[in-house]
Amino acid sequence: MSGVRLAGVGVITGWGRGVEALPPDAPVAAGGRAVVAATTPQLGGDRFRRATRECLLAVAAVQATLDDAVLTRAAVSGPGTALLCVTAAAYGSSNRAFIEAADAGSAGALHFPYTAPSAIPAEVTIEYGLRGPYVTLIGGAAVTIEALGWAARLIADGACERALVLAVETFAECADLFARDRRLLGRPLTEAAACALVVAGDRRLEVRAVDGGSELAARARRRAGETLACGPLVALALARAAGDDPWTVTGRWRGRTAALVDA
Amino acid sequence: MPGVCPLPPEPVAILAAGVVTPIGGDLDQFWTGLLTGADGISAIERFSVSDLKVGRGGEIKKVPAPDERGLRCRASRLLCAAAADLRARAPLAADPARIGVVVGTALGGVEELEEAITETPTLSAAAAGLYDSPAHALARSLRARGPVLTVSTACASGATALGLAADLLRAGRADLVVAGGYDVLCRFVMRGFDALRSLTRERIRPFDRRRSGLLLGEAAALVLMARDADAPRWRLGRLLGHASTSDATHIAAPDPEGRGLEHAIRLALAQADRDVGAVDFVSAHGTGTALNDRVETAVFKRVLGPRATAVPVNSIKAGMGHTMGAAATLEAIMCLLAARHGVIPHTLGFEEPDLDCDLDYVPHTPRVARPRVSLSTSLGFGGCNAALVLEGSVP
Repeated sequence: MSGVRLAGVGVITGWGRGVEALPPDAPVAAGGRAVVAATTPQLGGDRFRRATRECLLAVAAVQATLDDAVLTRAAVSGPGTALLCVTAAAYGSSNRAFIEAADAGSAGALHFPYTAPSAIPAEVTIEYGLRGPYVTLIGGAAVTIEALGWAARLIADGACERALVLAVETFAECADLFARDRRLLGRPLTEAAACALVVAGDRRLEVRAVDGGSELAARARRRAGETLACGPLVALALARAAGDDPWTVTGRWRGRTAALVDA
Repeated sequence: MPGVCPLPPEPVAILAAGVVTPIGGDLDQFWTGLLTGADGISAIERFSVSDLKVGRGGEIKKVPAPDERGLRCRASRLLCAAAADLRARAPLAADPARIGVVVGTALGGVEELEEAITETPTLSAAAAGLYDSPAHALARSLRARGPVLTVSTACASGATALGLAADLLRAGRADLVVAGGYDVLCRFVMRGFDALRSLTRERIRPFDRRRSGLLLGEAAALVLMARDADAPRWRLGRLLGHASTSDATHIAAPDPEGRGLEHAIRLALAQADRDVGAVDFVSAHGTGTALNDRVETAVFKRVLGPRATAVPVNSIKAGMGHTMGAAATLEAIMCLLAARHGVIPHTLGFEEPDLDCDLDYVPHTPRVARPRVSLSTSLGFGGCNAALVLEGSVP
């Protein structure tokens, strides 16, 4: 069984582009803001006229990943690239927009398909011509760890040559709902889109349930704030920038913590 | 070359199934309903449809009472009802920490989200609106403490979930996985498909010349899966191979050439280590829309080649409506039951052949045949495609 390596990471957050934009301490930097909203990427072209904010963030994060890996679009198009997308809540804004538009009698024909979580990776596949293994998983950071593990298995099994593990979280449109959860008080919800390009390499990894989170995961949360599914990918970017081992990352969601461990 | 596995992975055993559907509240009633052509389509009563062009669907009129107290989310209740049916047929004989849950859904708990947005928002409604809440409710009801995953590849979710469950077992992440799909018929989705003008005012007619669109339904379907080598001899069958791919063409419509679906089928067959000559039966997505049925037919002809007209193809959506996240799991279960009972359910609603749909769609009555190896296909919004290769256990 072959292993993997991290070929590139792209991160866009409410703090800006890349991990360089992250503050040392997100709660302090948030200054009491419950949500640190990300700027909507300005992507050109008529094709994106209906795309939601989370779709645009996803496309921008993938482009940032390809830039980091110094790869062209042509290098990833076709059936050799898998796309595994994870989100805990990014569909909430499009769901809400549709509900409110339908109540107002203004919902258009293509309004509804964008409410599906699968719309987020769909815009990425269309933009980059990705036709390989494809899945959208719902959940937070522990699920992103599962996606990274699945990417490693797909590559080891020969189902793809490379895998993009993408996570997107938006919160601004449903901030009133998140505000009801007191567990989120004191740690700002930071909108983010992050992506990792995983390719064949020499590190054989698998996913395990663990009891505690890693220092790397804690560092990512301290620097970025609560980014739910994006957390592990922000952590990978921090480790890559610092020259640390990225695979010590862990993720926690709904009381379960998952880690990547050497197989 | 992508998609060609160095070594085909081990098949995964499917031990038992449990369902709740518009044509039957358990597995036995579901199977009987398929064979008798039961009609689960009715006027929707649970919420207002007076402002919609179409107000019919596969609504489950009575959801069995859940064991879990305080479980008011309908999606969670459907899942727990299917789980109760499953558990009546097979024990969850493993350490709870080694039991996983993987379910697929197109809508999750969106009905709760709608309530949270339009009515007085409560934390419980907002939390239930997260699409993975019903999966965690199911895990709690099963006392499963292994991995809990929710897949959302739109209407292909129920197939992708079975594939991911198989991969979890192969990776040693769990010893048993309860996997499947669900979705509820709610005002949110009815308004969405109404806006898309995809719903028919007539009956659903998959592959028929007069097909004019789909109707929606609600259901939950679960299977119990285990590694083949560890599984008991009693079983419904095995999942031999699976694949999920993207079209990369359109946000809502399938690729008119069906290239993504074809790729998924070929990947799944390669993983199953079977060539197309081994396929005895095809369970199609078969929504009854003009484009889907034409695309699927063309893909089946390309993949199956000269055998295409000799391999029976069916769709079971006419009696229940398109049950979205549950559909592919229900269809996989149907494939295994067909092998067990030696009967292939007919395509309800198919009466008049279409020039573009010229395969053997099992018209009029169930077919006496025992399909050992079945191919099941699914498509969904966002260009999602999934294919399963299943092997039924022959008694």
